[in-house]
This record gives sequence, C-alpha cells and structure tokens, in this order.
Amino acid sequence: MSQSSEGTAEPDLTPLLDMVFQLITFFMLVINFKGAALDQSLQLPVLGSARPLEWKGDYEPLMLNVDNEGRVKVFGAVVSAEKFITDEAADLKKKLKASGESSPKELPVPVVLRADKGTRFHLVNHVIKLCQDNGYVQFSLSAMTGTGEGGR
Amino acid sequence: MGRRRRHHKTSGAVKLNVTAMLDMAFQLLAFFILTFRPAPIEGHLSLNMPPPIPQTNVQSTQTVGTEGNSAPNLHALHLFVTATESGDVAQIRLESNVIAAGRLTPATVAGIGRRIAPLFAAGNVLYDRIQIEVDRDLRYEELLKLVDVCAQQKLPDGKPLGKVSFVEMQR
Repeated sequence: MSQSSEGTAEPDLTPLLDMVFQLITFFMLVINFKGAALDQSLQLPVLGSARPLEWKGDYEPLMLNVDNEGRVKVFGAVVSAEKFITDEAADLKKKLKASGESSPKELPVPVVLRADKGTRFHLVNHVIKLCQDNGYVQFSLSAMTGTGEGGR
Repeated sequence: MGRRRRHHKTSGAVKLNVTAMLDMAFQLLAFFILTFRPAPIEGHLSLNMPPPIPQTNVQSTQTVGTEGNSAPNLHALHLFVTATESGDVAQIRLESNVIAAGRLTPATVAGIGRRIAPLFAAGNVLYDRIQIEVDRDLRYEELLKLVDVCAQQKLPDGKPLGKVSFVEMQR
C-alpha cells in the first residue's frame, strides 16, 4: 500500500519509441536527396510515353533546369550556362582521363534537360548546342508522365 | 542488512530511461517530416542528339540504298516546323510536303507518325535520323510532341530510331 502511493506513475514508452523509429525509418528510406537538383517551379510538358531514366553509369548525368526565359538553374541558383556546361564537361573529361579511359569525342554521360513547357525553341536550342559543343550527345528530355497538367 | 540489500538488487528489473532517446527520435522525426518532399512523377525521353549535319541534297537519296550496296549512305529525314506568334505549330512539312497545319492534337500527331513510319520500314531505309528544323518561337511543349513521335519510329531491326537533331529555322 505504502509502496504504490510512493511510486511515481511511469508510462511504458517502449511502443511509442517503436512507432517513432518506424516512422523515422520510413522517412529515411523515402528521402530524396536528388530532389534538390530539380527545380519544382518548372512546368514540364506532359508526355505519355516518357519513361523513368535508367542510368547505371559511373558518372552522374548533367542536370539542367531551363525556365521559360531561358535561364539555366542548377540546385536552385541561376548559373551561366556557358561556364557551367564547359566546366562540367572539362571536369568529366578529367575524371575519365584519371580513370584510364581515353578521352572520347562524345561524352558517355547523358544531359537531363528539364525545360519549362512554355520555353521558346531558340532558348532550349541554345542550351542543347552548348552541350553538343562540349561533347554531350545523349539527352534525356524530362516530362510529366501523367495526363493531367504538367509541372507542380 | 547486507543480505537484504543484495536481495533487492537481484530482484529489481533494470529500467532504462528512454525519455532522452524518445526526445531525440522525435527531433529526427520532425526533421524528416519538415524536409519531406515526395519525388515528382517524371519521365524522360532518351535521345541521341548529335550536332545537326548540314542539309544534304535530298534528291540524291533516290540513288542510295540500292541493290548491291551493302552499306548504304544514310541521310537525315527533314521535318520543317513553323510556329505562330503564340508558339503553337503553324505548319509541318516533311521534306517538301505539308503534312500538318494548325495546332497539334493527338490525332495530328498520330497522322504525322503514320506519314513517317513507311520511310523507316524495311526495304525503304534511306534515313538513320530525323532532323527537325524548327521555328525559333515554337514552344518546347509542342516540340516535344513532335520529338516523341519521331523517337517512336522503329528501324528495320526493331530498334527505336532515337536519333534526332534540331536546327533553328532561318527566317
């Protein structure tokens, strides 16, 4: 009697902790670190036949976001397309050389081009030409796969 | 006395204080919830886009790929796309033939596909790529519809064409 009145009420926190850890595990598994490279403000065109990018190369694809005024954004920041693409290509060529691969004329890495659906052709083509001039020939043009409105 | 104390120690269950761990777990959970952003459902149209080649004499394609020529000299099939001021398609020409006019609808796009497909069918292969000459004002959305129909063309060996180039149309 005296023991029960003196003892403090301690809820069993173990199930709560279990649940919280399960939630943490879930969020850790679904977290998308690459999402930061995607400019969510772009309205991508809708294309039913678009498929997920299957890229298993050693090097990361070059991700370019082009808004409807032709500005190239990388990780949310507007960059000079000329400088960025040239630097990335030079860096890749250096890596290829360091890994013993002969410097190919065509870079073995795709460019993921995420352009707004309202962007005029000459603005997109300018970015494409810059990539081609630097040795990129593989392109993955991003689009929304659904039938609804493009972009978010 | 000493015996009683020892008895208490062995019978009492060890209780871990999980409050600190729970605090930390909640902080982690809050972080993940606040930074959670589901990945958009994006797809890609993968293409091989070499730099455009200067336009060759289209008429000369009549002589390539003839019998006995084991390695025919393949050319680019040219599409010409003009645009309205608003960026919609005004007219599409396949070489010199007008194959569509006005805004692109699914039916128009399918029709373009039907016009192009025979050119890549077995026995008629004169082309290994499609070169699209595009009005500078065309919206990317409209262009992608055309690129899609071009990329879906199959070569005689069953492989998708996948080789498309763009050129800005001279005004």
